Amino acid sequence: MAQTTVETTGQALPPGPARTDFTPRLVDWTAAWLVAEKELRVSLRYPANFIAWAVMPILWQAPMILMAVAIGGDLTHFTELSGFSDFVRFTVIGWFVASYLDNSIWAVGNNFRWEQFGGTLESLFCAPVPRVSLMLGAAVASTVTATIEATLMLAFACGVFGTGYAISTIGPVIVVLIAMIVALHGLSFMLAGIIIVFKDPSVLTEFVATVTRVLTPISYPVSALPRWARWVAYLMPSALALVAIRYFAISGTFDVVIFLQTLVGLGLLSVFFWSVGLVTFRAAERWTRDRGHIGGF
Amino acid sequence: MTGNSEEDGIHERMMARRNIVTELRAASAIAVKQWRVEFAYPLTVLWFVLLPVMWMLPYFITGVALTGAMQSPALEASVGTSDWVSYVSIGTAYMGLTLSMIWGTGHALRREQNVGTLETLMAMPVRRGTLVWGSMLHELQHGGLGVVLQLVASVFLFGVSLNAWGVLPALAIVALSVIGLQGIAFAVACIVLVAKRGWMLTEVLGDIMILVAPMAYPIAVLPPVLQYISVASPLTWSVEGFRGCLMYGLAYEGLLRAVMALVILDTVYLTIGVLMFMATERWVRKRGALAQF
Repeated sequence: MAQTTVETTGQALPPGPARTDFTPRLVDWTAAWLVAEKELRVSLRYPANFIAWAVMPILWQAPMILMAVAIGGDLTHFTELSGFSDFVRFTVIGWFVASYLDNSIWAVGNNFRWEQFGGTLESLFCAPVPRVSLMLGAAVASTVTATIEATLMLAFACGVFGTGYAISTIGPVIVVLIAMIVALHGLSFMLAGIIIVFKDPSVLTEFVATVTRVLTPISYPVSALPRWARWVAYLMPSALALVAIRYFAISGTFDVVIFLQTLVGLGLLSVFFWSVGLVTFRAAERWTRDRGHIGGF
Repeated sequence: MTGNSEEDGIHERMMARRNIVTELRAASAIAVKQWRVEFAYPLTVLWFVLLPVMWMLPYFITGVALTGAMQSPALEASVGTSDWVSYVSIGTAYMGLTLSMIWGTGHALRREQNVGTLETLMAMPVRRGTLVWGSMLHELQHGGLGVVLQLVASVFLFGVSLNAWGVLPALAIVALSVIGLQGIAFAVACIVLVAKRGWMLTEVLGDIMILVAPMAYPIAVLPPVLQYISVASPLTWSVEGFRGCLMYGLAYEGLLRAVMALVILDTVYLTIGVLMFMATERWVRKRGALAQF
């Protein structure tokens, strides 16, 4: 009240602790952690969601397996093209990796849109922390939930279709998976920036999700794509990682050359996507704020 | 005072005009309103054109990877045609219409609730069911246009051949299909009205219906339990009939069987759906839970 009087009388404001202590930073890790904790708490309020998200991808993808049964015959051509003779085993691991791709697009990329729908975006943006921290927190939380859902989905799918994967190569699989998640979050930042500007997430997200899913070799090998599309596919972290993860998980063989090649590729893609993602996100956020568009639908 | 009596007069006149023409006009206005909302987002229009092709692509690429050709001897052995591209293209084209009908129509009331217009709509002097029929009309136009776009794209991009003589019988199948799907849409609307955020239940319901429908494979490849569910779904007969007509024209042998099955299933599904909706709507209104989130 006293401060308000001073403000209205036009006198100089005494330096308060809140003003002197605040120094803008690139990332506020405490804020990121708090956002992650908040997001996880919200997720845990709906435990049935974990089961649903573990089952629904199987329902979405099962038609592909049934189609393979109907038209595939003895799978001679598929085996020649992919190097794998078991279509179910080939595809289920593809669903596992694709669930991280979907998560990075739908959960992280759209995070601010969901906050906007919940009416909390403006309050969140009023917090004296870098916006990047808010995104990082959301990314960490959704990676945890995606891991629980993807693991449950893999377990269900293995049970339903009677398939399994090598445990001996789980180490390199996890390393490649982490590198892929890091690269995918760069893509999420880019998408988040675009969604802040364009608002309507259904169309944009559907488009990005569909294109990236077509380019990721979930139920077909990369060699089934047209030649030009193969090059584009390898610019997708999910495609690069899936090829290696599938090889390790199905063959049970650790090939150091494939492992290192994949890590280098994912490292370069991470640098690219994070640079473009951060620049896009910051520019979009500034653009929207300058125009007072933040809370608009 | 004069204003009030005029308003009363208008209200009474509006209530007195409640007939089938009024209901049709209201349903049509709801459909037009939804188109206007969609066209307010320019990217939606672009995506609407691209979506049918993008949906078909994974099926097409997987099919080519599996068979290495445009013919499948395995499919020929089970359904009598080796042309898997036409079989899958026409089947999946129907999926768009189904999803629009179940999702779009069933969740229309929730959409209105989210934007704060549900109570205003419910206060209109029209039957409550008209709100759902109006959404259905829009989804039929939206999804139907999507089917046309996907079929045209399949003809030009994947070399699918359609039998022109089968177009009219196929449209008759669509008309019969819409009735049964509307029954399901009413049931979905009930879930949404009661559970509010019942999207997960409706999603699973829709996914199971699509899984057991012979969109990209004959039902013979399903496990026996799912085959029984498939036979009891109007979607199964709609897809079979629609595809059979467009592939074989008037020579399609299963047409009569599909029509008979759809007539029976339409009667059952629509009756149950309408009764459920009437009871749910009354229940929700009595509890004053219409606008609750």
